[in-house]
Amino acid sequence: RVSSDGKPPKFQPPPKPVVIDRKTQKEERRFLSPEFIPPRGRTDPLKYYIERKDMIQRRKVFNIPEFYVGHVLAVTTADPYASDKSKRFVGICIQRGGKGLGATFVLRNVIEDQGVEICYELYSPRIQAIEVLKLEKRLDENLMYLRDALPEYSTFNVNMKPVPRMDLEEIPVNKLQVRMKPKPWSKRWERPKYNIKGIKFELPEHKMKAAKKWSQPWLEFDMLREYDTSKIEEKIRKELSEELEK
Amino acid sequence: MMPIWTKSGEKHAVTLLKVQDCHVLRYVSKEESGGKTAKLLVGGKNVSPFSKPESAHEIFKEAGVPRKQKVTTFNVTDDAIIKPGTPLYAAHFRPGQFVDVTSKTIGKGFQGVVKRWGFKGQPASHGQTKTHRRPGAISTNKAAKVYHGKKMPGKMGNIYRTSFGLKVWRINTKHDIIYVNGSVPGHTNCLVKVRDSKLPTYKDCNKNPPFPTFFADGDEELPEDLFDEEIFQFTDPSVTLA
Repeated sequence: RVSSDGKPPKFQPPPKPVVIDRKTQKEERRFLSPEFIPPRGRTDPLKYYIERKDMIQRRKVFNIPEFYVGHVLAVTTADPYASDKSKRFVGICIQRGGKGLGATFVLRNVIEDQGVEICYELYSPRIQAIEVLKLEKRLDENLMYLRDALPEYSTFNVNMKPVPRMDLEEIPVNKLQVRMKPKPWSKRWERPKYNIKGIKFELPEHKMKAAKKWSQPWLEFDMLREYDTSKIEEKIRKELSEELEK
Repeated sequence: MMPIWTKSGEKHAVTLLKVQDCHVLRYVSKEESGGKTAKLLVGGKNVSPFSKPESAHEIFKEAGVPRKQKVTTFNVTDDAIIKPGTPLYAAHFRPGQFVDVTSKTIGKGFQGVVKRWGFKGQPASHGQTKTHRRPGAISTNKAAKVYHGKKMPGKMGNIYRTSFGLKVWRINTKHDIIYVNGSVPGHTNCLVKVRDSKLPTYKDCNKNPPFPTFFADGDEELPEDLFDEEIFQFTDPSVTLA
């Protein structure tokens, strides 16, 4: 550098480091359980507010972890007919349904060559513990096709150890393409209305083409079906974070 | 409607009813009404006064209350008479009471005999010509007439019906909400009349109810939520069956 006089250039301190606050970035990715979002209808919003108060009350006492369809969960419930008075079931979550206090999730497992699906209510007082054993999202939100898939895809070891997970990482998406048993299936999964991406269809080409006949391409442009939940979600997230910190 | 769980873990479905701006409008004595007991006229849910003529506002002006959407009568014994103009709250009922709920059912319009009366209709095939949901024969040969009240197609729904003996599980005094067991006639957000049950099994059910009604300006300080004894409250830990 050419200096103004013969003296060495004035000491320039290095630029200050830019601090990216990881906490604020994490908050943008917050998970809101789908049963908190009220369905579209003519019910008084007061009813949903009161239901949410009850749900928050239950979540303060009992921890309901964040989970999606495709996670492997272990649920312990109170059972009057079991010898220990409690029952533990391990399975993959294939569907999450219901809104409000009646929210349910279905766990599937194959035990001794018999497929078993149990539908649990998230807010039922009989549930004593929910543990997430394996976190992974799948390509679809509804894994009902596992009923017609080969049983190896639904078997999970009952004494599985929980897979450790870093808190700030994104939940991994398992792009597994499942192989199916021969047709007939319980539902025609190749049809576009189910919009399934997680099956490896080994059907002949003409059958896949024939299934496309039932596609309804106008549905994605139907404006009356749009339900924009972003503002509702923000309000509910604020409410939740305020209440859970109390 | 919402689920509710008991302490043993059983689930029951519950309907939420909101008590919105209920006031006593008028007292009609036994001789005036000509019935067996005195009557109290009660109105619920405030509504704009501009859609009805002035003559219809007389009752409301006497009681000093805005115009109500619905006015119902309650048969009342002489010791339970309330002064017109007093507001009525959800705390009038207590958890553990049994209640009858009356309301207009959902109107289905003009309906055929299969939906309206549950007739079986006729088979879909085997030679039936244009006859699948018709009533068939309406009378016999010897009668030579059709009886009064013969079940035929007509307007279905939009009539008053009562569900009897519904248990009150919980009361929210802050928002004036009554949690009533089971389902109730009527569509969502419709007006409903809630009355102490007249069934003989529940005659001696009410132990110390607020009599004649719950007065908000009294000395009683009620908690925000009143629960029945058997309800599982969400502040307790999960149920363990010993």
